[in-house]
Amino acid sequence: MWGYVRDIWQGAKSIVVGHIVTFRNFWRPKITDRYPHGNADENWQPGPGYRGGFALLKSDKEGRELRCTACMSCARACPVGCIHIEGEGKGKERHPVSFYIDMGLCVYCHQCVEACPSEALTMTDEYEISGTSRASLVRDLAQLIAAGEGQTEVSRVL
Amino acid sequence: MSETAQAPLRTEDITVNVGPQHPSTHGVLRFVVTLEGETIRECVPHIGYLHSSLEKIAETLRFGQYITNTDRFDYLNGLGNELCYVQAVERLLGVEPPPRTQFIRTLMAELKRISSHLVYLGTYGNDTGAVTVFLHAFRERELLMNMFEAVTGGRLLYNYLRIGGLRNDLPTGFDEQVCSFLEHFPPRLEEMNDLLTKNRIFIARTRGVGLLTAEQALSYGVTGPTLRGCGVSYDMRKLRPYAAYDQVEFDVPTFPEGDCLARHLVRMEEMRQSLRIVRQLLDKMPDGEVQADVPRRLKPEPGEVYERVESPRGELGCYLVSDGSDKPYRMHWRGPSFYNLQALPEMVRGGLVADFIATLGSLDPVAPDIDR
Ligand code: SF4
Ligand code: SF4
Repeated sequence: MWGYVRDIWQGAKSIVVGHIVTFRNFWRPKITDRYPHGNADENWQPGPGYRGGFALLKSDKEGRELRCTACMSCARACPVGCIHIEGEGKGKERHPVSFYIDMGLCVYCHQCVEACPSEALTMTDEYEISGTSRASLVRDLAQLIAAGEGQTEVSRVL
Repeated sequence: MSETAQAPLRTEDITVNVGPQHPSTHGVLRFVVTLEGETIRECVPHIGYLHSSLEKIAETLRFGQYITNTDRFDYLNGLGNELCYVQAVERLLGVEPPPRTQFIRTLMAELKRISSHLVYLGTYGNDTGAVTVFLHAFRERELLMNMFEAVTGGRLLYNYLRIGGLRNDLPTGFDEQVCSFLEHFPPRLEEMNDLLTKNRIFIARTRGVGLLTAEQALSYGVTGPTLRGCGVSYDMRKLRPYAAYDQVEFDVPTFPEGDCLARHLVRMEEMRQSLRIVRQLLDKMPDGEVQADVPRRLKPEPGEVYERVESPRGELGCYLVSDGSDKPYRMHWRGPSFYNLQALPEMVRGGLVADFIATLGSLDPVAPDIDR
């Protein structure tokens, strides 16, 4: 008999405790975020070092557009082999004439950026990187240069 | 009386498929369950739906390149898997990482353990019919995910550890981020504890359910909280301290009952212990380099190593064979979920079908970790 009453009492108590916790949470600040905002500037901003899209950086040297020397280090470092480069010229003149990154294959591992000896390739904080076809996921040289506009540092958290 | 009334009722076993697509199977898992009325007579796990050939892929990638794949099988313990693999390669090469690296690796592995147990807590609440805890646990986990993002640049797939070091040092302001988490989280954890562990319905659904004895657990190779919930104190962090675990104090919680509640309590206590470890690591964190000198082309001597770490699910092992080239000759993962799952038929046999999901959830399986 007493056990029965105790069971009922404890059962009722745990329901009340549960409701108090739930009730308390009504007043806690919410952590979910609206996406997308009507105003694109209010969208969530990833932190530094975020691994999203790719960009090729401009060179500040005379007579050279890009820092990239088409040395293929990044293509060799890539675990899935999704970087395709064709270079032209010899020695200091060497530069890429075509540079494709297939982002449909990419695993966003950042190893290509780390392998680059000239700090020419970087990952950007762009996160709206989905596309409607496989072909739209392949970034070519022009797109990569456009993405690097105004950027001077490679992605690395510090 | 007629003859038919006296003959026993004709009964028949029925076979039920649980999964492969089922809200409570934690991924793509299938069980063929034979039922006699409501009692489970036999349960056969069918695995392999998420097999991703990770061991074979290792043979085609250089040692440094493979790190990115280690995040992908036990996705709740990405940094812990990386730690296991990286330590195996370092032992093969004879490289000793700097002390600061060891501390940061341990710190990240412990934070990852908390975040993994929070996922367990949320989904286990879901499995036993308490959906609210799921939302609370995932809200707290979000703070941890933001920390991982700040350090590694990724939220789930980190690729942060390197052979002999780390990709980068901790960002400035990370200490404060962890400190504020350490202040904010313990009361929230106790609150979730009130909500779930002290709930009568939850206790009634888990106490005495899914019983496993210590002998059975050991004979199946069960490890982690499932084994510690059977009263066996077996924790790689204590038995064979790796990284910086020999520099911190913590207890290994065990509960002797061997039921779902015991396994749950072990995990709740482990979160508190992890917080304790994190606090000590922050206090003792040494300064210095985070990357040891390693050659650009890694070519270990021919040989083999087996390295183990304590993942949130149990003993995670990495077996590597090198033939002297820059790629592994063979690699094998000992995924703890796979071994823990083998004991599931023992636990559910003779139990009620309604307890099946509660028992499965208490193992905290991760389906890609089972299939690898
Ligand atoms: S991030 Fe990784 S997978 Fe992607 S292109 Fe770079 S190296 Fe290749
Ligand atoms: S991006 Fe860097 S690594 Fe890749 S080809 Fe250009 S210079 Fe070489």
